[in-house]
Amino acid sequence: MWSDPSTVIFVIVMPLIMVALMKELFATALRAEGFQGVNGSEFAVPAMAVGFAAFGVGYSGFTFFRDHGWGTWDRLRATPASSADILIGKVVPNVAVTFVQLALLFLLGGPLFGLEVRGSWLALTLLVAVVALSLCAFGMLVTAVTRTMNQLNAIGSVGGMAMAMLGGAWVPVATMPGWAQAIAPALPTYWAMQGFRGVILESKGVPQVVVPVLVMAGFGLLYTVIAAARFRFEDTKVYFG
Amino acid sequence: MAHDMQRVRESDGRMLASSGAGSTEVGRSGAMLRVSGLRKSYGEIEALRGVDLEVAAGEIVALLGPNGAGKTTLVSIVAGLRRADAGVVEVDGLDARRRSAEVRRRIGLAPQDTGIYPVVSVRRNLLLFGELAGLGRAELRRRIDEVAEALDIGELLDRQAGKLSGGQKRRVHTAIALLHRPALLLLDEATTGADVETRGHILELVRQLAAEGSAVLYSTHYLAEVEALGSAVAILDHGQVIARGDVGDLIGAHAVPVVELAFDGEVPAISSHGGATVEGNRLRLPTRDPAATLVEVVPQVPPGVLSSVEIIRPNLEAVYLALTGRRYDEADREGAREEATERKGRSVVAK
Repeated sequence: MWSDPSTVIFVIVMPLIMVALMKELFATALRAEGFQGVNGSEFAVPAMAVGFAAFGVGYSGFTFFRDHGWGTWDRLRATPASSADILIGKVVPNVAVTFVQLALLFLLGGPLFGLEVRGSWLALTLLVAVVALSLCAFGMLVTAVTRTMNQLNAIGSVGGMAMAMLGGAWVPVATMPGWAQAIAPALPTYWAMQGFRGVILESKGVPQVVVPVLVMAGFGLLYTVIAAARFRFEDTKVYFG
Repeated sequence: MAHDMQRVRESDGRMLASSGAGSTEVGRSGAMLRVSGLRKSYGEIEALRGVDLEVAAGEIVALLGPNGAGKTTLVSIVAGLRRADAGVVEVDGLDARRRSAEVRRRIGLAPQDTGIYPVVSVRRNLLLFGELAGLGRAELRRRIDEVAEALDIGELLDRQAGKLSGGQKRRVHTAIALLHRPALLLLDEATTGADVETRGHILELVRQLAAEGSAVLYSTHYLAEVEALGSAVAILDHGQVIARGDVGDLIGAHAVPVVELAFDGEVPAISSHGGATVEGNRLRLPTRDPAATLVEVVPQVPPGVLSSVEIIRPNLEAVYLALTGRRYDEADREGAREEATERKGRSVVAK
């Protein structure tokens, strides 16, 4: 990441630009729901944070494919490092990067867009952490089931985008058609948006966000179990780059 | 180490030989590497069909075979990268499947494909893999300097690895395998794509490591390299070890000069002493007196049909021809095609 600034541009700069472009639109929607003293950043910041984090789930798999392409995957496996060591070494940095990405957007939301968090910052931090974990777990699942970079990009991007859209990160769930509203709770992004909405707009604290936190943690655990069952260290992965 | 050459069975018209050294008991043979009955298939493709092999501490064994013979599969299984379908691999008396972490500490692997991180420096690559191998900081820095001098990459340490030439990358790639002075060094086609200078550095370092006590399994499909290395040889063909021993012993036991005549069209009827074989448009006559054979045979050839005459001198190529009935270069080309199919089979099976 340090050698390639395009990643920083994608995960930080683009969401900020999108917030700037769309917050007025969301302000209208929030006022229509009855919220007073809002400027749209209360929805736009968490929406873009969650949306871009979901859209980028493939990045966690990218590091695996890159090792295959560079010929270093077998080298890693031939070292005394255990399989768990290798996986943790690859997944933890991605979780940390996703956490920092999300946290930065919320921290910059105040000075740049006047975002006011009416509830607990501790609850917000907890939500950010579990969103990072669950989305990275989904990224690992996509990595486990894909064989080529094209598959990773397609499934990761499309899957992440669908998660973001249907979870209410692009438009409020209440404005979506009935069938979409029925599907939304089946996605971790829905619970992320519900949690952020509660903390930012409804002054909720840690006890009130336990449900969305636990649900997202459950999703993360489910994705991790499936990924662990499906992942094969011996599999060949095709990398172009 | 002396290797007894025994002709133990015939199969499909080929004479097979295997070493009589070593026992089946753990540790008693003194082997650093012991492979017994190893089998591996990728779908319907049998890559290894019961491989037995031992390498002692301080010994260099060149694993020789054409493309597709199973060399990389064998090395991968020993290194713990693939699971065998059957058979046993023991390193320093340890079962490689049950005690894989301990075995990996004893192994240094340079895979067939160059594997270095191109976006960081050479030094960073060596530091990373040296730490993973369990070396402490001070010892690792000392070893980096030693290995860099031995492979002549000292001036490259602070350069970005991705910007090196192919030969330089190959040296860095090999250096990574040597940092922790492994008890068993696995080099899979270490000099493929390397320039002459790089090849010389690597071969010299291999000899040095063996002299210091490491067991070396050196996989290659270059016959000349094996002869230059002067090591023991295990010839792998279609997933089986068909011969094992010192180069000189193998040549003495199996290779006589061969007179090969190639024709335009079918091989004509020619009377000769026994042992002649026909493959396609080629007639091969093993003989201890090539000149006399030529004098005997050439007058019998109808005019205008002979396209070439070649005398294949006793060398590993002649050994391979005697054992398999095929030219090594032909087998190499055929194996390259089969290997491509094998890789496709692995990816299909993996799905």
